[in-house]
This record gives sequence, C-alpha cells and structure tokens, in this order.
Amino acid sequence: MTKLIAASALSIVASAGAAFAADCGDVTIAEMNWASASFMANVDAIILEEGYACNVELITGDTTPTFTSMNEKGQPDIAPELWINAVATPLAAAKEAGSLVALNDGPITGLGEGWWVTKKFKEDHPELDTVEKVLAHPEMFPFIEDESKGAFMGCPAGWGCQSINANQFRAFDMEAKGWVLVDPGSAAGLDGSIAKAVDRDEPWFGYYWAPTAIIGKYDLQMLPFEAEYAGDDNWNNCISLPEQDCLDPQPTSWIESAVESVVTDEFIAKAGPATDYFKARVYPGEVMNGMLVYMNENQASGEDAAYEFLATQEDIWMQWVPADVAEKVKSAL
Amino acid sequence: MNWLIEFPSMGRRDLSLLKQSIDESFRTFSRAFGDELEAFFTPLLKFLIFFEKLLTGAPWPLVIAVIALLTWLGARSWKITLGTIIAFLLIGRLGMWENTMATLAIISVATFVCIAVGIPIGIFMARSDWAQRIITPILDVMQTIPSFVYLIPVVMLLGIGKVPGLIAVCIYAIPPIVRLTNLGIRLVDRDVMEAAESFGASSREKLFGVQIPLALPNIFAGVNQTIMMALSMVVIASMIGVKGLGTPVLQAIANQYLALGIMNGLAIVALAIIFDRVSQTYGKRLQAYRETGHD
Repeated sequence: MTKLIAASALSIVASAGAAFAADCGDVTIAEMNWASASFMANVDAIILEEGYACNVELITGDTTPTFTSMNEKGQPDIAPELWINAVATPLAAAKEAGSLVALNDGPITGLGEGWWVTKKFKEDHPELDTVEKVLAHPEMFPFIEDESKGAFMGCPAGWGCQSINANQFRAFDMEAKGWVLVDPGSAAGLDGSIAKAVDRDEPWFGYYWAPTAIIGKYDLQMLPFEAEYAGDDNWNNCISLPEQDCLDPQPTSWIESAVESVVTDEFIAKAGPATDYFKARVYPGEVMNGMLVYMNENQASGEDAAYEFLATQEDIWMQWVPADVAEKVKSAL
Repeated sequence: MNWLIEFPSMGRRDLSLLKQSIDESFRTFSRAFGDELEAFFTPLLKFLIFFEKLLTGAPWPLVIAVIALLTWLGARSWKITLGTIIAFLLIGRLGMWENTMATLAIISVATFVCIAVGIPIGIFMARSDWAQRIITPILDVMQTIPSFVYLIPVVMLLGIGKVPGLIAVCIYAIPPIVRLTNLGIRLVDRDVMEAAESFGASSREKLFGVQIPLALPNIFAGVNQTIMMALSMVVIASMIGVKGLGTPVLQAIANQYLALGIMNGLAIVALAIIFDRVSQTYGKRLQAYRETGHD
C-alpha cells in the first residue's frame, strides 16, 4: 500500500516535471465564428503547439453551443473569447463546481458596446467628452431629412441592440432634446454611414461595439456615460426588452460586456505551465482592432492574422510567455 | 506543368493592391464630389419628405378618397376601386398606415423619376442604332447586378436614407420602361411612318404625333413593369434606412416574427396589385381608344 502511494506520488512529480518539457497532450480550442475569436484561437493554437509542445485541434463553434459542450462533456478545453453574459448562470455553477476555470477575465481591453463619435469630432470638441454633454448639442449632428434635429444612428431593425438603443433614447429623453433615432436598416447601412462620415470629415454619433474592424479602421471613440449603471433590474427587465415592454426606462451606462478565457479543469491538469500564458495574455483594444482591420482589408483568415500578429507584434506577445517559450515560437514562424 | 492546373492568378499582394486602389480612388471621388452630388439631389429629397409628410399628415379618409378617385379615373372599374378602398381600410386597421404611406411616397416618386428619365432614354435608343447597342448592355447590368454591390458606393456618396434608397430602387426598376419605350417605337409600322412623311411631317411631329401615340400600349406595359420592380425593391431599400413597409419585414426576418412579416408582406402585395390593375386597365383603355380611333 505504501509502495503504491509512493509510486503514484513519484509519477505525479515526474509527470509535472515532464509536462513542460515534452507532453502537454491533445488540446482542443474553440474557434468561435467571428473574426476576433478566430484570430485569438489561432494565436493560442500556435503558441501552445510551438511553445508548449501541445497537440492542438481547433473546433469551430458559437457561444452557447460551445459553452454547453464544455460544461457537459469537458470538450473543447479552451474558449479563448467567451462572452459570459450569454451563459452567466450555468457558468457560475460550473466555476463553483470547479469543472470550468476562468484564467483571464479580460483578454481584450476596451471592448464593449456603447455610443461613439468620430475621432475628428472628439479632437475638435474636447470639451464634449461624455454622452450627456453631446446630447445637449443636437445641432452638431444635423439630420439630413430635417436639419433642425440631430441624428443619432441606432442599431439596425431586428437586432437585439435595437430595443436597447430605442429604450436608452427614451431614457435620456432625447426626442425632447432635439434628436432623431435613425434606423440604418442593416449592418451595411450602419457601416456605410460611418464610412461616409469619416471620409468626408462629417460628424457622426451613434451605436457600435468593439472589438470590430470598423472601430479600428475608422478609429471611432467611445464616449463614457455620466449616468451610472442603473442596475440589473432596469437593464434586464426594461432596457433590453422591446419598447412596449419597457414603460419607464432609467438612463444608465451600458451593461459591462464581460469576456473571459475559460478552460476546463482537465486542461489545467495536463497543460500546467501553459495556464500562465493564458493569465498573461491581454490584447490591448487598439491592437485587436488593428488586427481585425488587417483581416478585413486582406480578407485574411484567423490563421493568417495570427501569423501576421506573431511576426509583427513581438513586443506584445513576447511578454506573455517565458523567454525560452518565446524563442521556440519565434523560430517556428 | 503546375501552371496548367493552377490558374496563374495575380497573386494576393497584387490583387489586394488593385482592390485597395479602386477603393482609394472612389474615396477620393467621394471626398471631392460627394457634397456637390448631395446638393444636386437636395430638391428631390425635399420633395420626397414633402410628399411623405403630405400622405402621413393628411386625414386618412381624405387620403383613401383621393386614392379611390385616382383608381377610378385610371381603371374605370368599380370592382378595382372598391377593392382598393377595402385594402387600405384593412392596412390602416392592422396598424400599417404610416409605413404604407411612406412606401407609397417613395414608390410614387421612384416611378415618376423612372418615367421622366426612362422614356427620353428609350426614345433616344429607338432613334439611334448605336445608342441602342451601347445602352442595352448597360440595362442588362443594371437588372442583374446584385443590389448590394451598388448600394455600397451609393451609401458612401449619399449616406443612408431616402435619396440613396430612391436611387437604388431606380437603378433596378428603370430598365423595363427604357426597353419597352424603345421597342414600342421601333415596332411602329413603317407604312404609317411613310404616310406621315408624305404629309410632310417634321421629325418632331412624327415622334409626338405618330410614334409615341402608337407606342403607348408598350410604354404602358413598361410603366407597369417599372412599378412592380420598384415595389419589389422596398425591402432592399429599407436596408439602407428607407422607412416604410420594408423595415418591419426586415425586423420580422431577423426575429422570426411570422405574423409581422406576413402582414407587412401582404401590404406590399396589396399595393402591387392595386398599382398593377390600375396601370394595366388604364393602358388597355388607352389601347382600345386608339383602336376605335383608327376605325
């Protein structure tokens, strides 16, 4: 009996020592079907494969199905960019049970939804640095169909964010302040209105989200709200519902968009040292947006972008890993 | 022998340079002339806004009465007139009045623009063979190019809203009126033309006195087609911010709202049937009148 325990203890010590050197085993990474997640998954794959000698497989997915699979089956091992608001309750339970672990609660900085203006506007009017201050000046954003009003570009019809913007529009009493909520009709319409405004140095004020290629390409600036976040009850039971179901919306800042890098307990067991990489891996918002612009302009896949990032942005990713791992990755590029 | 199997394409770098230079030159163009173009279209925008406000601001019984009167004048059929009144009452009852008026406004103006631009082009094509050779392939492109491809430059030049929507609608809807005007005039009997010539008619008199009147049934078929195609663009136009029946349809598609989609879709169909029956019967009456006139 004592022999057995000693043997197994020995083997644990041995395997812990060996994990770094040779064998982190088979690892699966969720490659979500949007650009930034695909890019991150590919960077993780290259670094784990070349730097930590893992055998990586990418698995395409989307937030809810991928999370369900991780929660139920323990596969895939890693979700590099998991938007946790969508899966808040079951994720909390899984964390409690220890089957899923968030290694990083902010893998990208400066992300989230909100109201943005063009960079030129922000430079020309440094004093208008919050949403509320801009709301006092509808005359700076003349609406083409009625020049006496200011145009606020909302979210396309039929998207979840449409209700949120319409309710916020009412919460901030924007109609009385001289604003019109413009429906851009589609993503193409929304993007086109930004492209037109920036290319012509016209002011633009409206809704968007990051990380996205549009934000990076046109360098839009998010405006902070002076209003505090008015609570989950206001947000979940009013602001995010269709207009007719939200009778008394309170002005609020945007709900915090939370993204985490979530892994399974099994991954932590087999890939020990690599967890440090995930803890250190934080993409600055501008860098992420810049990579999305690169993907957009070159029609690059997540894999192309990952190689481009590793080749050109060494000063960022070299900090995420120990020097010897960095060397291994570098020599493999 | 690799080049036989793999097409010697330009390569990613060159291709991306080519695309970027096209984008860049369009951006330069948009920066240089965008404001002028916008100013050029301002009267049209003003008219569109005025017309929409007129339709949505007027009392609804008056609007229905005017539409019924126009239907009667066009179709001279109490069945079609009654059907129109019922259709509009239903539309209002089901809460689609404002969107229907917005759609009606943009479709009417689009039809008007298409006729005003299309018929002269059709006449020009009919009178010159080389013009026909050049314009026909352009019309082919206009009818077949996916709408989203030309929406991109239109939105970059003019932004989103009514005018770019109107242009998108017209690009798609104008070819039939041009083609059928051209065809109608070319089909006018040569004997009739010779007779007109022998009476010493000038080319202007021949055009307005003989060719256009005889081509009217064809021209009306063109107008009818143009209206139908304009209506089928309602949903696409709403994708670049044109208000109207297309917006709830888009919303219904995105959210799987069955009833909302069907109701607004049917309202578009109702408008289409009314426009179609009225313009067709008007065209037919015109034809009958001409025929009796010949006897």
